[in-house]
Amino acid sequence: MSNKFFFRSALTSTILSYLLIFVGGLVRVSGSGLGCPDWPKCFGRWVPPTSIEQIPAHIDSTAFNIVLAWIEYGNRTLGVIVGISILLMSVIALIYFRKNNKILFSSLLSLFLVISNGGLGAIVVSSILNPFIVSLHMILALFLVSVLSYTTIESYKIIDTNKFTNMYLSKKISTSLILLWIFIVIEILLGTGIRTNIELIAIDNPLFTKGELLSSLNSYKYLHSILGFSLLFLSIYLCYLFRDDFLGLSKQLVLFIFGMIMFQIFLGELMIFFELPQLTRLFHTWGSSWLVGIIIILYNTLQYE
Amino acid sequence: MLGSFGLIVIDKAARSRIDNINFIGKVPSFSLTNFDGSVVTEKQLNNKISIVSFMFTQCEGACPIMSNNIATLQERFSSSKDIQFLSITTDPDFDTLDILNQYSSNYSKNDNWFFLRGDILDIIDLSEKGFFLDAKLLPAGHSLRFVLVDKELNIRKYYKGDEISNIVELQSDIVTLLNQG
Repeated sequence: MSNKFFFRSALTSTILSYLLIFVGGLVRVSGSGLGCPDWPKCFGRWVPPTSIEQIPAHIDSTAFNIVLAWIEYGNRTLGVIVGISILLMSVIALIYFRKNNKILFSSLLSLFLVISNGGLGAIVVSSILNPFIVSLHMILALFLVSVLSYTTIESYKIIDTNKFTNMYLSKKISTSLILLWIFIVIEILLGTGIRTNIELIAIDNPLFTKGELLSSLNSYKYLHSILGFSLLFLSIYLCYLFRDDFLGLSKQLVLFIFGMIMFQIFLGELMIFFELPQLTRLFHTWGSSWLVGIIIILYNTLQYE
Repeated sequence: MLGSFGLIVIDKAARSRIDNINFIGKVPSFSLTNFDGSVVTEKQLNNKISIVSFMFTQCEGACPIMSNNIATLQERFSSSKDIQFLSITTDPDFDTLDILNQYSSNYSKNDNWFFLRGDILDIIDLSEKGFFLDAKLLPAGHSLRFVLVDKELNIRKYYKGDEISNIVELQSDIVTLLNQG
């Protein structure tokens, strides 16, 4: 009973965290990060003002934009909900899983990460959206979903003892999965680096067209593409390794990884040729965050030799 | 589903940016003297996006920051002929044309930044009634705001001239106005 309950709470925390990454991405692409210039309150209120008259007199209201304020506030509210969800999960882990180190420590680690990232959110605002800190905020979120994915699959293994796969965690598979995860994290770092640079160049050159912005980027934008295609080959190799497996959870995840990498390359090319439409950017970031958690789940579905 | 949600939010945010640049009022007629001796009237604002501010050369607090910020904006928008800057002194007794000229050469790298002086009473009037900005206890009591004026002489928005986040916002609003034509 408590096993099922814990799994549900871990799964909820994971899904909510992925939604949070989506909403966080939305804040970035819609440029709403300074929608609330203060933190944790918004224009001095716990609930953002719906009209300019509601802003307390001592707070400057020049920057007030109701839409941007509520987008940013949505991110903060969902952040609090994720925090509460992970707190509940950790309490359950402390009560029922004190002897299960994997679950106990991963729960507590995710609690630590979510609180830290909330605090980093305050620094994001006070730094006036320094692109480096904004990217760090996202990278910490990726570590959070990694840990949560691990917690979820470990608790799922307790309630579902059927085999997910015929495959064993051989040296080959283990190495390719670890490499894939590391390369994807590097690929995301390169991607955020490109984004950071575009934003810095755009501040200095507000009249640049998006094409000019792209062409003034450093050469590591090519590195991002090259690594992207390398990831594709690695995922094809993974499909090859799993060719004789039955279509259980593990093989489904392998196919998902392959499909998602293909989709990401497609989105990446789309952004270059169609001048970075914001929605494409959002799904490019969000999709890559999925890969990070899915690889961890896949790794932990495999049987130990 | 998430995609359409994202699209709606992005679209709303983009629209709200345009809506947020309100019509606050119309720039009244004025006549001031530029540091090079030429007379500048409200007609100079026709067909240009203007950033208007008040300052004086002996000011040691916010003014150097404000002037540096305008210099940065001047540089960043140097490829556009549609933008200009007007800095009006609140200390015309000290700020002669010579002194304004010297001050201008310290900050301005282009001929689209006017340093203007006139009768102090006119300037108080222009600040308070024209741009709705406080002008008590001059020269030091001048407003620290930058005023964004569009090509039709409409006052559109105010920004804290000494705050980087406001300057970034001003930049993106200028781009928004430029894109509107």
